[in-house]
Amino acid sequence: MASLNLAEKEAIILEHESDPQRILNILLELQFRSEEGYIDEETAKLVADRLHLSEARVYEILTYYAILKTKPQPTYVLKVCNSSPCHFSGGTMVMEVLENTLGVPVDEPTEDGMFMYNKIPCVGACDSSPVIKIKDTVFGNLTEESIIQLLDDLRAGHYENL
Amino acid sequence: MLERNQPVLLERVYNMTNAVDVEEYKKFKGFEGLANAISMDNEAILDELDIAHLRGRGGAAYPLGKKWRHMYHSKGTPKYIVCNADEGEPGTFKDKALLEKDPLSVIEGMLIAGYLFKAQTGYIYMRGEYRQIQKIFQQAIDNATKAGYLGENILGIQGFNFKILVISGAGAYVCGENSALLNSIEGKTGRPRVKPPHLADVGLYLKPTLVNNVESYAGIPVILREGGQAFLDLGSEDGGGTKLVCLSGHIKNRGLFEVNLGTPLYELIFSEKYGGGSSTSNPLKFIHFGGQSGPIGAVDELEDCIYSYEGLWDKGLSVGSGAVVVMDNQVSMIDYLVNVAEFFVHESCGKCTPCRLGTTRLMELLKKFQEKRAQIGDIERLEKMMTHVTHLSACGLGQSVANSMKSGLKLYPEEFLAGIGKEVRKLEEVSW
Repeated sequence: MASLNLAEKEAIILEHESDPQRILNILLELQFRSEEGYIDEETAKLVADRLHLSEARVYEILTYYAILKTKPQPTYVLKVCNSSPCHFSGGTMVMEVLENTLGVPVDEPTEDGMFMYNKIPCVGACDSSPVIKIKDTVFGNLTEESIIQLLDDLRAGHYENL
Repeated sequence: MLERNQPVLLERVYNMTNAVDVEEYKKFKGFEGLANAISMDNEAILDELDIAHLRGRGGAAYPLGKKWRHMYHSKGTPKYIVCNADEGEPGTFKDKALLEKDPLSVIEGMLIAGYLFKAQTGYIYMRGEYRQIQKIFQQAIDNATKAGYLGENILGIQGFNFKILVISGAGAYVCGENSALLNSIEGKTGRPRVKPPHLADVGLYLKPTLVNNVESYAGIPVILREGGQAFLDLGSEDGGGTKLVCLSGHIKNRGLFEVNLGTPLYELIFSEKYGGGSSTSNPLKFIHFGGQSGPIGAVDELEDCIYSYEGLWDKGLSVGSGAVVVMDNQVSMIDYLVNVAEFFVHESCGKCTPCRLGTTRLMELLKKFQEKRAQIGDIERLEKMMTHVTHLSACGLGQSVANSMKSGLKLYPEEFLAGIGKEVRKLEEVSW
């Protein structure tokens, strides 16, 4: 995914009418369409300027909400639901398989910068636990085999939209 | 007249082929509730809502009729209509189904509120995890606007103007708390406000604001279409209607079910129509009701329990959001509660000390039991800390953190005792 240029970023802000009420919509859209999955300083400044907010306010928001990131993210961040319905229905298995297969502990990127996995609270897919969420896509009813398959498919670039 | 056992809220979810199409929505009795509302006196609308006895479906179970009456009599303009779609209670995925597969019913509910309170602006605050559904909902809004159900002079009624804005959350559980949600809409960080004042008097931008859950709004058109009594008859006397229940955990038929309030709990858990019993080969041990903030019940002690507001209150339990998380006998209560505590440590917003520090202290204490290094006196310490967090926290999040822990300790004291290390001696209190 190519990074957004200034005009594209401005278009996203204008789509939301430069409305400070919709700052989260704007920041999420900018982040999900960014190359490295985070809001860089330049983008934060742009949002502050166009929404007539202070940069401090924008950063207060960026650091408060869990989905928003201020640092570059690996290509695929595998989010594993850690809330009780998932955790006790295979969630721990998912964490073990990821640790064994990727060879890194939780919250640490792999050396090639391709993967990282972390625990997140409920994504509302409790009826298909255990789950991994990547961006907006939920992979449910996972088994050890299907997780390894998923990682292989991601490496092979079978999920272009993620 | 509505038949019990017939889906009321999920009928369109199951049967519509295009969830955002206004014409198809109307084929399934869409906008009939609104049509009735505009032909009625305002007082008559409020009376129907009182008779229906719909309790708030977000979890607080506050009678919706009372909330609306309060809002109706609150002074100040403009008034705002807000829908809380920040569904974040673990084990809950009911609002998701309505937002994605029947968004127009939520819009109709909000629209009726807009008409009654002469509000011109509505907001729906939807959790960031549901970004794709936000787009679907926006489409439903756009279609309703094109069809003349949103916008200006709706249905040709002069001055009946109403629009709805979709506001995204971005991953903060506490924004499900209504005042935190309003702060988040105002573009601030989503931390709760000190209450009172009630949001119906001082809400969004300090104006009177109605905040209801998605499922509550979806129930409004049903009440005004079929009548308050018909809605009440779907449930039980202490709370009318059907409830969307989310079954998850170690249960065979995980998923979303529409259940008449007043259904026996065992039917919900064990009958093939609903849960179908254990999904593992092990017997079921306990049930966590209403999300992480709810209480826990032991399956063996709930044989005669009725799934209704009073039926659960009688057992010290609650309906909450409608989450029903079932665990089998392989799960230790302590392990479970450590997981719950970790959730709250992560989600406490940090504004008030009892919750910010209390959640961490609770987690540390529970981990001592988990690692079998608790000391004599730690049970008492845990109890004190639970009381502390419950009574001193500023908002509903902190006040309900200990619900599960209190019931867990009461139901399975032997598991806590087993967590006390053999070699440790009782600590003597040092007098000052």
